Amino acid sequence: MSSTNVAPSPGTASAGSLEKEDSTGRRWRRFLQLLSRYGTLTGLLIMVVIFSIAAPDSFLTTTNVINILNQSALTALIAGGLTMALVVGEFDLSIGYLASLAGVLVTGLIVRQGFPIWFAVLVVLAVGAVIGAINGALVTKARVNAVIATLGVGTILIGLGFGYTSGAPISSGVPDGFLRLSLGELFGLPNPIWIMAGVLALLWVVLNRTDLGQRIQAVGGNIEAARLSGIPVDRIKIIAFVTTGVCAALTGVLLASLLGSGTASAADSYLLDAFAAVFLGSATLRDGEFHILGTLIGVIIINTGFNGLSIFGADTFYQYVFKGGILVLAVALSTVARRYSRA
Amino acid sequence: MPSADTAPPLVSVKGLSKHFDGVRALAGVDLDLRPGEVHGLVGANGAGKSTLIRCLAGLTSPDAGTIEVDGQQVSLETPKAAGDLGLAFIHQELNLVPHFDAIANMLLGRPKPSRLGLVDWGRARRPAVEAGRRLGVTFPLDRRVEELSVAQRWMVSIGRALVANARVIAMDEPTASLSGAECDRLFEVVRDLAASGVAVLYVSHRLDEVLDLCDTVSVFRDGRLTRRVSRGELEKSGLIREIVGRELAPHEPEVESAAAPAREVPVLEARGLSRGLVQDVSFVLRRGEVLGLGGLVGAGRTELARLLCGVDRPTSGSIRLAGTEVVLPNVAAAVSRGIGLVPEERRSQGLVLHRSVAFNINIADQRPLRLVPWLPLLHMGRARARAVELSQRLGIKTSNVDQPVSALSGGNQQKVLIARWLTRERSVLVLDELSRGVDIGARGEIHAIIRELARSGTGVIAISSDVEELVALCDRVVVMAEGRVTGELEGAELTEEAVVALSYAHARPNQEVSA
Repeated sequence: MSSTNVAPSPGTASAGSLEKEDSTGRRWRRFLQLLSRYGTLTGLLIMVVIFSIAAPDSFLTTTNVINILNQSALTALIAGGLTMALVVGEFDLSIGYLASLAGVLVTGLIVRQGFPIWFAVLVVLAVGAVIGAINGALVTKARVNAVIATLGVGTILIGLGFGYTSGAPISSGVPDGFLRLSLGELFGLPNPIWIMAGVLALLWVVLNRTDLGQRIQAVGGNIEAARLSGIPVDRIKIIAFVTTGVCAALTGVLLASLLGSGTASAADSYLLDAFAAVFLGSATLRDGEFHILGTLIGVIIINTGFNGLSIFGADTFYQYVFKGGILVLAVALSTVARRYSRA
Repeated sequence: MPSADTAPPLVSVKGLSKHFDGVRALAGVDLDLRPGEVHGLVGANGAGKSTLIRCLAGLTSPDAGTIEVDGQQVSLETPKAAGDLGLAFIHQELNLVPHFDAIANMLLGRPKPSRLGLVDWGRARRPAVEAGRRLGVTFPLDRRVEELSVAQRWMVSIGRALVANARVIAMDEPTASLSGAECDRLFEVVRDLAASGVAVLYVSHRLDEVLDLCDTVSVFRDGRLTRRVSRGELEKSGLIREIVGRELAPHEPEVESAAAPAREVPVLEARGLSRGLVQDVSFVLRRGEVLGLGGLVGAGRTELARLLCGVDRPTSGSIRLAGTEVVLPNVAAAVSRGIGLVPEERRSQGLVLHRSVAFNINIADQRPLRLVPWLPLLHMGRARARAVELSQRLGIKTSNVDQPVSALSGGNQQKVLIARWLTRERSVLVLDELSRGVDIGARGEIHAIIRELARSGTGVIAISSDVEELVALCDRVVVMAEGRVTGELEGAELTEEAVVALSYAHARPNQEVSA
């Protein structure tokens, strides 16, 4: 790396607002910043320690760790996609419904239309891209608020899913090859883990090591500054929505393969999991910024919690309490992190 | 009219001072305001008029000095405290609720009589109707404010002050968007208010009307009240001299810049550009020249810059780049043709604050940073090296280009924005309010950078409200007032006084705007 010290007198640069703040305020702020940056990781660590002590034989075993990662894979895919929409400064509430539709569509295309598996998957991913583009166009060109636009599109997708299946799951005649997509293994690890790793790595590279990714971050960071720098902000936003849509469709395809059927509302609940994970991730290591690594950690935290609860045989309602609690906590942490880092 | 000179002052300001981040905004201002007096406040942008008004309105608390109302020292901590003492402030933006009717707007925030817990509108509207009668309004008071003309909205705002029993009414640029007849009507109202004992603080850039309307005019310069002028004491030209503050030597063109190559080649030509405030603006920017855009805040300079940089599209007129007419549908088109903008609001329009210095420098053009040209993967080492190189070249004081840009001082942030445009080929660089919030040392460095850019062939358009800066920095200055070009100054003609005089020139007679 080239030299880091550009200025002869580095002290002069920051001698601005910081000096005026009294030391207690600064210490409190520093504490909150540390809490929000490392709080989530500490939480994960505490959870692991407690579960390991409470269930030494079942929690911290290779099988269970692989199990947690495998359960995390689908959430991580959809949440990774969602991260792109959030980084660009928008919202996407259609992802769960899009994943559900992708599930019925891919099984339907294979079972009813007799499409080869690879081709059906490709078609469904393209559908995900188109729906992402529609979301993006509504937000940028028609200037509909992203929450409303994607909620509306998502609701239409629910309708389409039910229309396509007539309400009954598509389950008979699903070929083994399609099931192997999610149940197969490579080098001892289930396929979904490999797919998750590949897709998240790709998203990370795009976001951090490409021109496009830098532009996505600039648009999300300050849209006016991005526009005045000559960045085509509408196009960048649409691209981010397309990425989100493709990831959601992929999640839906893998879920259908895992379940062995296409059900019209199978993936709906992934919406909340994804949001909880992404917001939890934004308060991890960074100050309220959405980022791919954070999202992955967020997903793992949530699934570790689920896994522990089910090992203890906790009732289903605890899982909902946990999930809702995590979502609210995550958003609060992320907001606090942002406030105290940029005040 | 009650004798304004002998009555005890209604409001008396003594030694009022205010600093913002070490910049002096008000320094020991004394000012008396008597009942029935129309008191004009004039001065260049940033001379201290607004700060004084903000102190009186309870929006800013002064660092030192006292404010007395009726001889009693008061503390105006909040706008409510100011309102309770009978001080009313009418901002240029008027702060009315568009979908409420005129009466509801006049009564906004006032306690309303009620019957059985419901507002008794019959009784509540009486003071508003009375205020309307006093102002002689001719439009129905139950009309929504959004359906009223600007002049009528001013009447509603003044009516609101009357409903609040205001004894002092401050008006900020009331005639800025009024037609000639509407102005006359407003002056009548102001005179009537004064005759009934209300004191009016009148802020305006239109010196003719200030001299015509005001009993006393206070001139502000650099935060000080430098001259108090009574009615008939000074002509407009004398007032302009007071606003500028000194006789200045004519601009001496720089030896090097005069010798710059191919100066006569026009890089950018604007012909009859219009949109909104901007009306029929034409000028030529030559290669290697620093062209200043002078004028008062609100003269349309920023709006013009936006047209040149593809942010807004002109409704008429054309832009030529190197002799070819171009259409700039968006900023990206302007940037790809080599036009860069350093915007007015550095933090909200220029920087991605929480990202690094390197990120902010590199964002406008990343193509040269690719690992291999056909693959959109960035070479992060090269990206960083480019940022380091530019930081050193422009003297950006940062411990590290990975530091968040928010940690830098205003001057260094401005350099980051200039560095952003040095990453790519450019023919025109537009800097809007180039040294706002930049300390004096960094200002000199930025000027040196700009001149160096011009020498190397970039056409620079520099917008500044600081007349001294324009004269010192620019080869030529185009001055705007009320959206039009009022003059162009070069060489020996380029003096601070000439720029100020053109800034106050009425570009057009007040046209009749249909109400």
